Amino acid sequence: MRTSFDEDFDVIVIGAGHAGCEAASACARMGCQTALVTISLDTIGQMSCNPAVGGIAKGHLVREIDALGGIMGRVIDRTGIQFRLLNRSRGPAVQAPRAQADRALYRTEMRHVLEFTRNLHLRQGVVTDFVIENGQVTGIQLQDTRRLRANAVVLAAGTFLNGLIHTGRSTYTAGRAGEPASIELADSLKRLGFPVGRLKTGTPPRLDGRTIDWDVFESQPADERPVPFSFLTETIEQPQVTCHIGYTNESVHKTIRDNLQESPLYSGQIKGIGPRYCPSIEDKVVKFPEKTRHQLFLEPEGYETYEVYLNGFSTSLPFELQQELVHKIPGLDQTKIIRPGYAIEYDFIDPRELTPFLQTTRVRGLFFAGQINGTTGYEEAACQGLLAGINAALYVQGREGFTLRREESYIGVLIDDLITQGVDEPYRMFTSRAENRLNLRYDTSDARLSPYGRNLGLLADSEWERFSSRRDRISKLRTALLATRFKRSSWEHAELSRLIEKDLGDSISLASLSQYPTVNPSILFDFLPASIKSYTTFSDLETTVGDLLYHGYIRTQQQNNERIRNQAEVLIPANLNFRDISGLSHEMVERLERVRPQNFGQACRISGITPGALSTLLFFLKTSKN
Amino acid sequence: MCDFSFEVQAAGTIVALSTPPGRSGIGVIRISGERALDFTRSLVRDPDFSPEPNRVTLKPIFDPDTLEVVDRAVVTFFKSPHSYTGDDVVELSCHGSPPLLLNILDVLLNLGARTADPGEFTMRAVANGRLNLTQAEAVRDLIEAQTHAAVRQAARQLGGELSKRLQPIKDVLLEIIVPLESSLEFVEDDLPEDIARNIEDNLFALSARIDEMADSFRRGRLLKDGLRVALVGRPNVGKSSLFNGLLSSDRAIVTEIPGTTRDTISEVINIEGIPVLIIDTAGVRPSPDKIEQLGIERTRRAIADADLIVAVLDGSLPLINEDEEIVREASSNHCVVALNKSDLESFCSNNAQRIDDNLPLVSVSAKTGKGLDALCAEIIKPFTAGYLDESSFVITNARHYDLLRRTSEALRAAQGLIQENVSEELILANLYEALRFLGEITGETTPEDILSQIFSTFCIGK
Ligand SMILES: Cc1cc2nc3c(=O)[nH]c(=O)nc-3n(C[C@H](O)[C@H](O)[C@H](O)COP(=O)(O)OP(=O)(O)OC[C@H]3O[C@@H](n4cnc5c(N)ncnc54)[C@H](O)[C@@H]3O)c2cc1C
Ligand SMILES: Nc1nc2c(ncn2[C@@H]2O[C@H](COP(=O)(O)OP(=O)(O)OP(=O)(O)O)[C@@H](O)[C@H]2O)c(=O)[nH]1
Ligand SMILES: [Mg+2]
Repeated sequence: MRTSFDEDFDVIVIGAGHAGCEAASACARMGCQTALVTISLDTIGQMSCNPAVGGIAKGHLVREIDALGGIMGRVIDRTGIQFRLLNRSRGPAVQAPRAQADRALYRTEMRHVLEFTRNLHLRQGVVTDFVIENGQVTGIQLQDTRRLRANAVVLAAGTFLNGLIHTGRSTYTAGRAGEPASIELADSLKRLGFPVGRLKTGTPPRLDGRTIDWDVFESQPADERPVPFSFLTETIEQPQVTCHIGYTNESVHKTIRDNLQESPLYSGQIKGIGPRYCPSIEDKVVKFPEKTRHQLFLEPEGYETYEVYLNGFSTSLPFELQQELVHKIPGLDQTKIIRPGYAIEYDFIDPRELTPFLQTTRVRGLFFAGQINGTTGYEEAACQGLLAGINAALYVQGREGFTLRREESYIGVLIDDLITQGVDEPYRMFTSRAENRLNLRYDTSDARLSPYGRNLGLLADSEWERFSSRRDRISKLRTALLATRFKRSSWEHAELSRLIEKDLGDSISLASLSQYPTVNPSILFDFLPASIKSYTTFSDLETTVGDLLYHGYIRTQQQNNERIRNQAEVLIPANLNFRDISGLSHEMVERLERVRPQNFGQACRISGITPGALSTLLFFLKTSKN
Repeated sequence: MCDFSFEVQAAGTIVALSTPPGRSGIGVIRISGERALDFTRSLVRDPDFSPEPNRVTLKPIFDPDTLEVVDRAVVTFFKSPHSYTGDDVVELSCHGSPPLLLNILDVLLNLGARTADPGEFTMRAVANGRLNLTQAEAVRDLIEAQTHAAVRQAARQLGGELSKRLQPIKDVLLEIIVPLESSLEFVEDDLPEDIARNIEDNLFALSARIDEMADSFRRGRLLKDGLRVALVGRPNVGKSSLFNGLLSSDRAIVTEIPGTTRDTISEVINIEGIPVLIIDTAGVRPSPDKIEQLGIERTRRAIADADLIVAVLDGSLPLINEDEEIVREASSNHCVVALNKSDLESFCSNNAQRIDDNLPLVSVSAKTGKGLDALCAEIIKPFTAGYLDESSFVITNARHYDLLRRTSEALRAAQGLIQENVSEELILANLYEALRFLGEITGETTPEDILSQIFSTFCIGK
């Protein structure tokens, strides 16, 4: 074996998917010489499936990435072709932005951002193995015999490890359609002893938009005032497109039912577990037989292409059948499929192998991020990439690792869930996974996380400037809303009483007004005195009103958290031998050993652990301390 | 989370006498742990002894030193995990002679077993997932249970009764949460229009049910902790005689000398399954005697602590002001008036004319025992009115009571928010709070559980 290296870096990131791009960008900006090695430089930031970013919980993640200084939000803001703020009629804690992307523009823009990042070096190549010396990773081996050196390696190989594509009965190895699978790299992980599992996901067919009868479908326009993902984006300038909504029908369902034996999902050909919240059309028809139709979205893939993404129709049926089914949908009776849908099975590594810093416990300096940790989704991948990148940089710089708490971020929830509970199916973020949903609003991620981003060196001076200014405006606005009152004699009082059909008393503060469910921020904005309007924006107002709205809840929640945290933060000594605790069964000891929780709170979230085992553990921790 | 302390010790096979110490019909020795069967084999001198689980076998027990048969015991083997503790368990039912049992325990300790600490069997059961916390708490109550009714109650809880009763409530709560949560989390999905119907009514019914359970706490506590009842009156009215009568034993000293009882004494009696602590007190009167004064001071304290006071009057004499004073003082608490010495000719119930009609009054004779049953019935009446139906379920644990109350409060808060038309995430914040409180009794509901329910209820997935 050769011992010399062709090139030397501080950190190497493998894979330029959504995780890898964030990881490499963060490392480089934290001052590390960083190589981003990927199979093809032409598919940097490729969206393997749906050309869209955000949505409930996912949009929250993008906002958090952005607040920390990540790049996903900035890239989608420049390449999104249809922006919508979801749940607009509900409270701000469950609103989130979503955008349809121009798939090609997104790739180009992502590559552009990376190419213009200092210390960041793009390298095309297929990684086949790690170089490890004394339990510490020291570099990687490429297929073409090149060897690259680094003290930390972030692996973000997505769905590529032993990827196997299914359409009907035919299967072939691939990382995703059109790209090779990573077989040797998968083998080397197994050789290193990483526990590997198998998951599955799927994608729908893409259609020729010129052959669609658009008039048949209901249209779904973009928001008039697009809400951007990044705190740095002032306004979304690019033109906005319209999506369309349609439905399947009984005839489609019958054909699927009659041909289930052709579906690798039902023939037993696919062994991996797929996500329940992203079911294939086969699954929908089988599991909800009473539904007479299923919703479909026709989403344009970009400005410069007639390719259309048939959202809601993920399938791995044989191509001829896919075409036949599409023709049964009114409006698509003449439509040609450009790319067939397919299912892919791939290896993932049990994330309970990881420390909270996303470093593996088996090999020092080796970090895992993205889909290989059992998650699904670009946003889920990107936030792990960001955290893994940050921690890889901190690691080579000899600094202490960085984590986020569950109470302060969805990212913290995601990583904590992964490393304590592992995954049984591809993990996707939902707001209900967060105990403190009300406190994790999309519009407060800057207040929650930007100070960290700044400390880590991921927010430039000008960006920090923006952050501080917004923070100050909001605090000023809050005071003003509490202090400004409309008296009964004022025209505002009369107008507002009429508007919300309630007597507002002799005088009412703007803050109290904002608490009426019927007074939304746009109404309130119109009534702001000029003195306030002069320094504030609509988005400032929304955030401030949200703060006021949840204030009481958040206080109770914080008290609860305090109580829980006191117990949760009972530390578990790193060298504790769980076998020494009498009364813990073998199985419980094994579960604890696999995760090696650092505190009692983490132990509580380990899946399958019994309350009895927990009380035994807590009792042991509390008594053995003295 | 873990409010009862278990001793934590190195693992091993543990052994203990699981019947009360002292001479009794049988004595049961319980062995739990990996080597339980091993040890039994040595004890019965049969290396191939492989009893069928859950079946009884009669076996001779040997003293390993003398090789003499010391007893014939009924051996029952419970195989892991189907035993009380979840480990292998052997129970030896021997003859109940203390020296014999100690001898057998000694043999087991010599073989390598370890004496179990208090509660250790239960701790193992909890740790092995055989019991949940509610059940473990019930075991603790069971061990402390003083009367049969309390034993039955604790036994019911041990069967997971509380968890079982709360499960349907939790299910209804989940049925409310799931559509609300779906409508927030899956805005883009094609969900049914009337997804969140009847939520208000359901919430109302739910909190009413929980309140009802919480209300049973009073009765539950009665069954478990029992009542304190003080016998109070002037000297010589017959308090001590009554005390002895209620106990059916000559526990207290009785003389015709006023001021006989100096210190309070108490004993537990059983009235219809309820443990009742009866306290005999020093007769109340102005007295220069230092010791008597101290005794009267104790009487006042007993009055203050009691759940109910029996004001004892001598019915053979006209009442004097001090009698009335005592009754008045007692009537600020639950109170029963006992008009004593009904056996005497001079007894006249009219003597009690000046006593408030509203107070329950019983004529008794401590001497003959007449009227004592009626007195007992009056004593428990204020606590059991409308409650003493043993078949209905009651809450006996203050922690459970508190959690139920908080559950119900959270549900009411959610109802209020629905009326105000606020957005779902706030309603849900309260519903999750309720779920969390219930979860502290029945076991946690994780976000994963809720998501699973969403996915099995609605077709989600764009
Ligand atoms: C068919 C399909 C359907 C999907 N459906 C959904 C869906 O419905 N919903 C959803 O949320 N998500 C879906 N996804 C998942 C989504 O694409 C991923 O979650 C996301 O892309 C993961 O990001 P990543 O950065 O972890 O990996 P990827 O985006 O997969 O990127 C991996 C990168 O690693 C590179 N790489 C791999 N191996 C090597 C190697 N040996 N050497 C060098 N470079 C390497 C690849 O070239 C690629 O650039 C789907 C993916 C696929 C393929
Ligand atoms: N005939 C008759 N005598 C009674 C009865 N109860 C008590 N006596 C007598 O009354 C006297 C006092 O009885 P105690 O029981 O000692 O009275 P006490 O209230 O405890 O008195 P102190 O302890 O001095 O306060 C004794 O001589 C008893 O025998 C009764 O029901 N009938
Ligand atoms: Mg006496």
